[in-house]
Amino acid sequence: MVDAARHPRIDVRTFTEVEKVEGFVGNFKVTLREKAKYVIADRCNGCGDCARVCPIEVPNYFDMNLAPRKAAYVPMSQSVPLVYNIDLDACIHCYKCVDACGALEAIDFSQEDQLVEEDIGAMIVATGFSHFDPSVMDEYGYSRYPNVITSMEMERLNNSAGPTAGNLIRPSDNKNPQKLAFINCVGSRDKRYNPSCSNFCCMYSIKNAILLKQMNPNVDITIYYIDIRTPSKGYEEFYDRAREMGIHFSQGRPSLITEDPETHNLFVHSEDVTLGKVMEKEYDMVMLNQAAVPQPDQNHMSSVLNVAQSPGGWFMEYHPKLRPMDSPTDGVFFAGACQGPKDIPSSVAQGSAASSRASRILQSDHWEIEPTVAVVFPERCSATTRGRACGICAKACPYGAINIFSPETPAEVVTAKCHGCGACVAECPEDAITQLHFTDAQILAQMRAVLADKPEEKILAFRCHWCSYGGADLAGTSHFEYSANERGLRVMCSARMDTDFIYEAYRLGAGSVLYSGCHPQDCHYITGQLIGAKRASRLEKIFDKMGMTDGRFRVEWISAAEGDKYARVLNEMQAVLDDIPMEDLKAEIEKLKPEMSKRLKKFPGVPGVQEAMDYSDILVDAITKQKETA
Amino acid sequence: METRPKIALFQCKWCLYSEPDQNWVDNELPSSMHLVKLPCTGRINPLYILNAVQGGADGIVISGCLPEKCHYKEGNLRALRQHDEFLNFLDYIGYERSRVRFVWLDLQDRGRIQKELADFKSEIAKLGKAKVLATRSKVSPGGQYA
Amino acid sequence: MNHESIGSLFVDEVKAIPGGEFVEMCYSCGTCVSKCMIQQKGEPEFNPRRLLRMVMMDMKDEAFDSRTTWLCSACDLCYPACPQKIHISGVIHAVKSLAVKNDKKTIQNIAVVDQQTCVACGLCVEVCPYEAIKIIETKVPYRGVINIASVDPGLCMACGTCSAVCRSTSIGVPEEFTDESVVEGLWTWLQSQGVET
Repeated sequence: MVDAARHPRIDVRTFTEVEKVEGFVGNFKVTLREKAKYVIADRCNGCGDCARVCPIEVPNYFDMNLAPRKAAYVPMSQSVPLVYNIDLDACIHCYKCVDACGALEAIDFSQEDQLVEEDIGAMIVATGFSHFDPSVMDEYGYSRYPNVITSMEMERLNNSAGPTAGNLIRPSDNKNPQKLAFINCVGSRDKRYNPSCSNFCCMYSIKNAILLKQMNPNVDITIYYIDIRTPSKGYEEFYDRAREMGIHFSQGRPSLITEDPETHNLFVHSEDVTLGKVMEKEYDMVMLNQAAVPQPDQNHMSSVLNVAQSPGGWFMEYHPKLRPMDSPTDGVFFAGACQGPKDIPSSVAQGSAASSRASRILQSDHWEIEPTVAVVFPERCSATTRGRACGICAKACPYGAINIFSPETPAEVVTAKCHGCGACVAECPEDAITQLHFTDAQILAQMRAVLADKPEEKILAFRCHWCSYGGADLAGTSHFEYSANERGLRVMCSARMDTDFIYEAYRLGAGSVLYSGCHPQDCHYITGQLIGAKRASRLEKIFDKMGMTDGRFRVEWISAAEGDKYARVLNEMQAVLDDIPMEDLKAEIEKLKPEMSKRLKKFPGVPGVQEAMDYSDILVDAITKQKETA
Repeated sequence: METRPKIALFQCKWCLYSEPDQNWVDNELPSSMHLVKLPCTGRINPLYILNAVQGGADGIVISGCLPEKCHYKEGNLRALRQHDEFLNFLDYIGYERSRVRFVWLDLQDRGRIQKELADFKSEIAKLGKAKVLATRSKVSPGGQYA
Repeated sequence: MNHESIGSLFVDEVKAIPGGEFVEMCYSCGTCVSKCMIQQKGEPEFNPRRLLRMVMMDMKDEAFDSRTTWLCSACDLCYPACPQKIHISGVIHAVKSLAVKNDKKTIQNIAVVDQQTCVACGLCVEVCPYEAIKIIETKVPYRGVINIASVDPGLCMACGTCSAVCRSTSIGVPEEFTDESVVEGLWTWLQSQGVET
């Protein structure tokens, strides 16, 4: 940290918050709030005279509130930069610090928060994680029993720079504990609080146990666990070492801790699963290895940075396997536990990877993006035709890539920010936006080709590129059998599946249509699936009102790992079609055709659509003729 | 002998979680206290209490599980309701309400029963001996399975 | 996978009964066992975790004969403690109802009604926490066909609440806690302490 602070090309800003992020990859405009320290950083030499004279003591959050600090403070002696800070919430304005500072004149109570705007090329988010508060778990009595402590408190008590100078004492009587219990998975792997595994706590409790045992070989340590997870290189050997040292491991999650009201000793009730027997053991002190949880302001940061969150609240990466340090927004990268619980080696690895990814942006003059971006036809935009921009596209865009500067000017796409989901294209009521390589005309031509022959037997499946297309692929490579009448059409996101396509499919006489995409939390385009899902449920209602047979229009969210589900859904749809007698089906298709054409009145006006229709008609004619002659 | 208040302790057999406490109640109760261990506080027939009162008990303690944690779903709530009514009657015939105490024991209340009993004892000692109500004779429950 | 084998596994039978759905979520942490009062109060063999394993491992007969199946009183102390949110007593109830279907008998002393004295007042029906008592028209010797209380042996958990409310002392659990022994015990103690009449 000291090296980083001294580096000529690294600028460390502490006590600073990101207020606002504008712009796009390579050209971010970031507004920072530099909070007032009431100390002039350039003048402060870190002598600590101000803290020495300060009469106010408050709990130090850095020491898990186990030790006091002054109102003029640094959280720890190794703080970088070593600039003191005055906690105005605690300060009583006695100004003794000003006198103590003397000729340096570093203390300035007139300071105010400052908003600074910076041009930033790429951002690395490393906001870390927070700890689960075990006091909500009544059964462990944390905060009620003095000798039940968390692992972080233990960490401070056992630290030579901590409040007790490394002398581990128990809070009730300041004696050194001789019998200790560690409880793993407090609040993690627990559906009541955090269903996920916190990744590093097993190793962490083993580490603490070994440290304590090294300092005093006579202490009796028991680690209660559900499963010990030591999956990395050298970890299992570390676990072996702990067992060799005589640390006890007991499989079985304690259900209750009770306290002797006189001695404040603790009784841990658990079943030793291996023995199949319930044990009640007495300990001097119990440590809870609490779950890692996202930072309390993670939601706020996610909206400031415009990055999505995974289930559980962690920041969501672009791709869990292939791009684990990239955010869905270009130019924003993640390092460490803000993206998910991680131990130190993985955090360092991710940090290095993120910085090299980021430097790639800083090194280059231009930046390649996916070519499937959205393009506006300014002459069709309602701002031009009616003098008032409707703004639907801007609202739909998950990336905020569409600007409408005034109601009279047509929408503008910031190409560098566009990720090509196509939500705006499908949402636009005027068909004034198109997506390159997925234009209405192109998709329409594909639809006409696949529905040229016996359309009433066909199942037209709209698949999103990232999930259901992968699911269909998996169904194929896994040799799951599904209906041969399925015809798949790929678009980038379920948000691109325009209502016009669905109407057109039925107008062309399709038997069934499948509307498929990612599960809501898996969407590759942050909120694209939500837009698609909303549209799909609207369509379902419309078709229901039209009197379409149930099951001819189906909406399913299928992930790339759910090949079996894709096959099952298709087979169920085939079964629905098989149940309708052919004459009835044809009659229904004919009956609904006028309804569909009514809704498609504006469609041929879309640039390129009429030509695509004409061309594909010629093509279809040619194919049918060829078939007839064959 | 008479200086020590006589206390009848009705205990539901599930309510004491910690073994030392249960051992104490089972084996080390002072002779001025009498333990009636039942499957549930809901199993306490008001006749038992009436018998204790008739027999000259100075105080009655009913210890059971916490309302939400009854071993038989809601037996202790039934008991509370029934005994509330019954205590009105006892009050009417001259047996003070403060001579009967409900103790809800939680799982984590290690060592609480001893404290509660000592506290109750000192309170009863303040109240003095219970009045002699009518005759002191046994009330027969009757019935085949009674 | 052979499709015929699906549905015939014991675990599928249990999962088909409401309450048994989540049995396979159990990762054997043992929280339920150490929370349970029954095993602590003199039933060391009582082990819900083991019963759940038996269900998962297709050990049907062992599960039906297990004391866990029959002695769980559904107090649900374990349910809020379970980190996997499995309604354990629901699973046990599902196993029990399968056992009853397979003609297994409960190992508990259940409540018994004195048919000669029951007046069908319905107080016991009101208080039974397990809804095990119903008023049923029965043919009783000397009394003809009359309405009297009747206990469902599959549901009764022998708490004795019915016996405490019965005004005609016609229902009770024949076991160590009888009214007479309780009253006798009280009087012996009171007399030993010196009773003035």
